[in-house]
Amino acid sequence: MKKLIRILMGVAILASSACTKIDNYPGPNASFQGTLISSTGGNFPTSSGSTQIWLQQIGWTAPQTIPSKFDGTFEDTQLFSGGYKVLPVGGAFWPVLDTITVNLTKGTTHNFTVTPYLVISNFTATLNGTTLTLTYDIDAPIVAGLPTIKDTQPYVNTTSLVGTGASILAFSDVNGVTINKDFIDMVPADKSRTLTVPNLIPGRTFYVRVGVRLNDSYLSSNFSNIIRVDVPSN
Amino acid sequence: MKSINKLIIAISVASGVLVTSCQKLNIAPPNIFTSDVIFNSQAGVTSFLATIYQDLPIEDFKYSPSTNDGAESPAGFEHGANDWTEFYNEAGCTGEEVGPWSGMDIGTGFGYWPYADIRNVNIMIAELPNHVASLTQAGVNQLLGEAHFLRAYYYFGLAKRYGGVPIITTVQDPGAPLATLQVHRDKEQAVWDFIASELDLGYNMMPATSVAGRANKYVAAALKSRAMLYAACVAKYGSVNFVDGQAVTAGYAGIPASAATGYFQAAYDAAKLLDGVYSLYNGSPNDKVLNYVNVFLDAASPENIFVKQYSIANKTAHSWDDTMSPRYFTANALSRSYPTLDLVERWGNLPITNSDGTPTRYDNRAQLMQTLEPRLQATIYFPGATLRGLTFDMQRGIYPSFSGTAAAEVAKPANSRSYILAGSTSTLYQGMQVIGFTGPWTGDDELTRTGFYVRKYINFNEAQSAVNLNTSVQPWIDLRYAEVLLNRAEAAVELGNTSDALTDINLIRVRAGATPYSSVTLDQVRNERCMELAFENQYYWDLKRWRTADVVLDKAHFQGLMPYYIYDENKYIFLAEPELFNREYTFPKQDYYEPLPGGEIANNPNLLPNNPGY
Repeated sequence: MKKLIRILMGVAILASSACTKIDNYPGPNASFQGTLISSTGGNFPTSSGSTQIWLQQIGWTAPQTIPSKFDGTFEDTQLFSGGYKVLPVGGAFWPVLDTITVNLTKGTTHNFTVTPYLVISNFTATLNGTTLTLTYDIDAPIVAGLPTIKDTQPYVNTTSLVGTGASILAFSDVNGVTINKDFIDMVPADKSRTLTVPNLIPGRTFYVRVGVRLNDSYLSSNFSNIIRVDVPSN
Repeated sequence: MKSINKLIIAISVASGVLVTSCQKLNIAPPNIFTSDVIFNSQAGVTSFLATIYQDLPIEDFKYSPSTNDGAESPAGFEHGANDWTEFYNEAGCTGEEVGPWSGMDIGTGFGYWPYADIRNVNIMIAELPNHVASLTQAGVNQLLGEAHFLRAYYYFGLAKRYGGVPIITTVQDPGAPLATLQVHRDKEQAVWDFIASELDLGYNMMPATSVAGRANKYVAAALKSRAMLYAACVAKYGSVNFVDGQAVTAGYAGIPASAATGYFQAAYDAAKLLDGVYSLYNGSPNDKVLNYVNVFLDAASPENIFVKQYSIANKTAHSWDDTMSPRYFTANALSRSYPTLDLVERWGNLPITNSDGTPTRYDNRAQLMQTLEPRLQATIYFPGATLRGLTFDMQRGIYPSFSGTAAAEVAKPANSRSYILAGSTSTLYQGMQVIGFTGPWTGDDELTRTGFYVRKYINFNEAQSAVNLNTSVQPWIDLRYAEVLLNRAEAAVELGNTSDALTDINLIRVRAGATPYSSVTLDQVRNERCMELAFENQYYWDLKRWRTADVVLDKAHFQGLMPYYIYDENKYIFLAEPELFNREYTFPKQDYYEPLPGGEIANNPNLLPNNPGY
């Protein structure tokens, strides 16, 4: 009887102590946020699937990325604190090759200033019936060594999240125009452009911007600001 | 007293155990093969080689370039008993075909890292010289040549994916200090030079002939022509079109442009070594279509340089016949990958439109095909072709009547076109079936989306009831003489020797039933290659080495050929329309090099910097 009690007590001790260990590794509590600022002023306009913040924790080998939001800001609140090498990559700006090191804790903010390949200015959208006419000017802050300009196109979507990978094909890609010229060979008429988007649906609201795509490493595009267009019902 | 007895028993038992425990077990374990067992006989070496050959990075029927979109996992070089997703192929991601991939899904690869296989080759190279007594010096040399060829094949599989990788030529000791095991990347150029020197050793040491499935000296030369052409193009075109980064600066990704000529010359010289040794298949010269079909089915073809074989008994059979044709022609399964009109138009535009823009009227579906080059007919099943007694009855729909031009009709929104479509073969219009048993149909992806099916390698002699999963055994021709001629022609044009290229290309064109050229350009040589080697898992790597993938696959959509019946005319027309899923394919420039596998970088941080963009 005593034996049995002893065995049971032994089992009880083992059972109670076996599961007491908890994961005492601190969870990711650091964050990293900031803005991509254009050297020509204002936020650097981006899109989905374009600019990312590349970061690699010092002492680790696998890099990770934070995608930028459409307004040029970025934020990740689930990072482990520590030293990181960081770099903005993948957008239509002159490559930043030197990583900088930041020490990430809760609420770390860092802004990156980038020089855009192209700046799209004076963007207007004029609706005539169901046909939208878009005009805009293209300028390059730095001309020497600029990648070839491939094409330009409108991006039309039903939400304000509009750009590459977030647009309606039938209104967007099909209304693009091929350029395939170096900026230095472009005459003034090439730089003041007009695109038309016909057959928009009456009674709907659309968000519109234009992009110019370059033949850089990422086939990336510079974007205009976003304009809201309300097509009246007929 | 009792306790003393117990003590005596305990001591005697203990000493008994101790006395016997010190006898060493001096018997070799019978279930572990020592190097003597393997390397003292040809049979032993052959069985050791079998694994090394089986694992070679041969992109055959079963090769699965990615695990995306539900493709077989793990991806890579399959040799199991149930490999049947042949339609998850490279061709289906590059516009040769459109397949189950939803976009450019294969660009970052699957983390190929064959250093375990390379270790096996290194063991062989280290061990063989110790066994001259049993294998003879000549025997050892032949096998060493074969080992150098095999090592080059593995490194080729690495170099074309990653550029520079560590060149390991010794059998590393797992107990060695970590610092010696974590080997740095070698420069890309060093890896290609290593491949060249290994293949030279293979050429010099191997005999001129071998059993099917094993290498001989000409296999090494043929592979060298392929590898050096790749290196030459990386040097010439990769030095212009590249993504910058640390790996480029350090020479791990990229070769100086100045090296291009040397590599083109090496490719040309290697291809020339096969002159007169192999020849293009011409088994039935009076029927050029059948002749070209049999290039891929006749085991006695003098064109075959290096083949990979399959067997039902060994559970290595493949499923090409069952998964490249629709269920209509087979006993099971389905097809999901279809040739595009874009590929077909490499042969020139099809005669489907009159000079006034109206679609050409045909009395029956097969009439169009009969005007085309025999090689094209033998590569792709067109509407009206037959297989196993059944007809490819592709029909997209019926027009009660048709007027106007093809271009205007295709440009109309779908809901304002006057055609009759159907979701089932049982739907009739005036008593006639609206869509064909073989598609094209959008309802599922088991019928063609393009109006075509793959014909190359299809074993038409097999009875329908026997065409099942894992029952196809026609060998994969990894290296054939036509490719060597194309390698030679391309290298020759790049070196300015167009007359040699013209001779090579015309050999291929005459066998194909095409009109010979009177002069030849680089574009024509490349186009000939794309036609001749369609579906042979070359095109993806050609696009990569020419550095044109980002141009050809830039928001690319591909076309199909949609056959329609015009009811009031009793005629057929063919319209060029977007393939029915109208998918988009874009190749990011960084994918000219695949990322080094993350797990390997974690094991060996000296592999960094990774390729640019990753």
